[in-house]
Amino acid sequence: MLRYVLRRVVMLIAICFIISVGSFYLIHLLPGNITTVIEGPGASPENQAKLYKLLGLNKPIYQQYFVWISNVLRGNLGTSFISQTSVASTIRAALPIDLEIIFLSQILAFITAIPIAMRSARKPDGWLDRAFSAGSFTLLSVPTFIVIVLMVLFISIKAGVPHTGPSSYVSFSQDWLGNLESMALPAIALAIGSFVVYYRVLRSDLIATLQEEFITMARSKGLSQRRIMWRHAFRPSSVALLGAAGVNIGGLLASGFVVQYLLNIPGLGYTLISAIDTSDYLLVQGIVLVVSVGVVLINFIFDFIINIVDPRISRE
Amino acid sequence: MSVEQEKLLVVKDLATTFHTAGGDLPAVGGVSFDMERNQTIGIVGESGSGKTVLSRTIMGLQQRTNVTVTGSVLLSGFEMVGASEDDKRKRWGTEVAMIFQDPMTSLNPVMKVGKQIDETLRVRLGMSKVDAKARAIELLELVGIPSPQYRYDAYPGQLSGGMRQRVVIAIALACSPQLLLADEPTTGLDVTIQAQILNLLEELKERLEMSVVLVTHDLGVVATRTSRIIVMYAGRIVEIGSTREVFAGHRMPYTRALLESSPKVSNASHTRLTTIPGRPPNLLKLTDGCSFAPRCSYATDKCRVERPELQAADEPGHMFACWNPLPKTRRTVRK
Repeated sequence: MLRYVLRRVVMLIAICFIISVGSFYLIHLLPGNITTVIEGPGASPENQAKLYKLLGLNKPIYQQYFVWISNVLRGNLGTSFISQTSVASTIRAALPIDLEIIFLSQILAFITAIPIAMRSARKPDGWLDRAFSAGSFTLLSVPTFIVIVLMVLFISIKAGVPHTGPSSYVSFSQDWLGNLESMALPAIALAIGSFVVYYRVLRSDLIATLQEEFITMARSKGLSQRRIMWRHAFRPSSVALLGAAGVNIGGLLASGFVVQYLLNIPGLGYTLISAIDTSDYLLVQGIVLVVSVGVVLINFIFDFIINIVDPRISRE
Repeated sequence: MSVEQEKLLVVKDLATTFHTAGGDLPAVGGVSFDMERNQTIGIVGESGSGKTVLSRTIMGLQQRTNVTVTGSVLLSGFEMVGASEDDKRKRWGTEVAMIFQDPMTSLNPVMKVGKQIDETLRVRLGMSKVDAKARAIELLELVGIPSPQYRYDAYPGQLSGGMRQRVVIAIALACSPQLLLADEPTTGLDVTIQAQILNLLEELKERLEMSVVLVTHDLGVVATRTSRIIVMYAGRIVEIGSTREVFAGHRMPYTRALLESSPKVSNASHTRLTTIPGRPPNLLKLTDGCSFAPRCSYATDKCRVERPELQAADEPGHMFACWNPLPKTRRTVRK
């Protein structure tokens, strides 16, 4: 187990290194000259050359990388040329919003998907199973932006629930109840997609697990159906669920961007899209780095949980 | 009725039919036998003869979907056929327990083995956590697992096949059942471990005053350990009698074929084993005749059109189903 974890940590560091090189190089892949962006199209060649030197762009690229990465490791992601604010502090302000949306959406998705999958798997092809299997396919095929638009129409406009429409974000420190209200729509929108994935993965694994001999054995011990489902069937069936959750949560950062953009919620996604609009390259770079490392970390954590849930994995 | 209530197990006209896409499959048909307390009986037959389905039907483990069970299984006077899941559950583990065939698949792979024993004790006997753990360790010791305190925390994957089967036995014994159904308990194990497990079962049966149904395809296993033997073919009993009688005075050609196809220690080395020609019949396409007729060298036209019912042989309790039984001579059987 310990050896397994150590091996994963080494892998994690290697992946983070590759990500850092990638996001560093991203800036160099952009079209146009960075000095034009900073000084505007009318800048003289002398001024551009001066700035070029000031930014250290005349040094070899590996030196540039080491200067940059040592700053990054100290938490300094640079200062935006556009807004003249620290990239790190901009990210620090926006990131908690993403985390809150994802956290809420995952809670919603798990507390609905798990019990419904359990019920479905107990009677495959029963009415509940049929209804949710068909329903989940329908939900899967509706894109998030449609869901958001429909929810805004029905919940914010028709039903008039406060703080739920576009541009009505309330921060948690301001008014926690209002904050939860303003987070409801994005969280529900993301939860729907996650629910479908978790429900389907868990349902099919549960059905397979329930065919296993050890389930018959558990029945022959005289255990209740409920206990067999939760204590014997759930855990061995949850490996694929956790794997899917790891991948899905990473992907949610991206679909979260769409939701944030539609509802004007100042999270990372919204910030990233405005940074791209204003050619704020350093901010783009910072967000890409943070999000990529975040995705890798989430997968690492889920791998670790899977190992605890199913000890057969690290033994092999 | 009062006589039957005293018996541990009375099975009457038990039939299990699976409704499959290919039609109705009579896995067990018209099985009747009974069993005294503190007895060990053997159920033998080839693979696919309905032994496993019979033992699961006796216990009532079949799920309700696509299965019809008719007839009667009286377990200490309680009718198991048609009983509700709740009523059966009350008896599972405490009155009747099962040892499963394959210890590699019958234990939950992600649950510590100690917990799998504990659980039964806590749920069924209402023991406290501490008592259950102590008892679980005792049980592990009882089934001969070395350093049981340490094994308590092992996952099934960390134990060998023999160890796992011992754990399965410990789970089955946890609530001191009166009847233990052992479904090929040693098939998945090495030959050396097989004898250990069988001896353990025999010893525990004596110590705990249980009755055991030993289901196996291996006649060597039942020869010395059972008092009665049921020979099954195509879901039906074809011969039943005391172990001695079935071995030495069998009348059914199938029983002889089975006996001749199992190796004997007394055979000279490189003795070719006799095999039974053909395969067990497809249960979806059973004819009206004797199901063994296509493979039987004694078969006549009557055998192919009319099924023989069980008839009494000379010794009380010995019955066989055959139109052309073997002569009543005593055969010497080398075990």
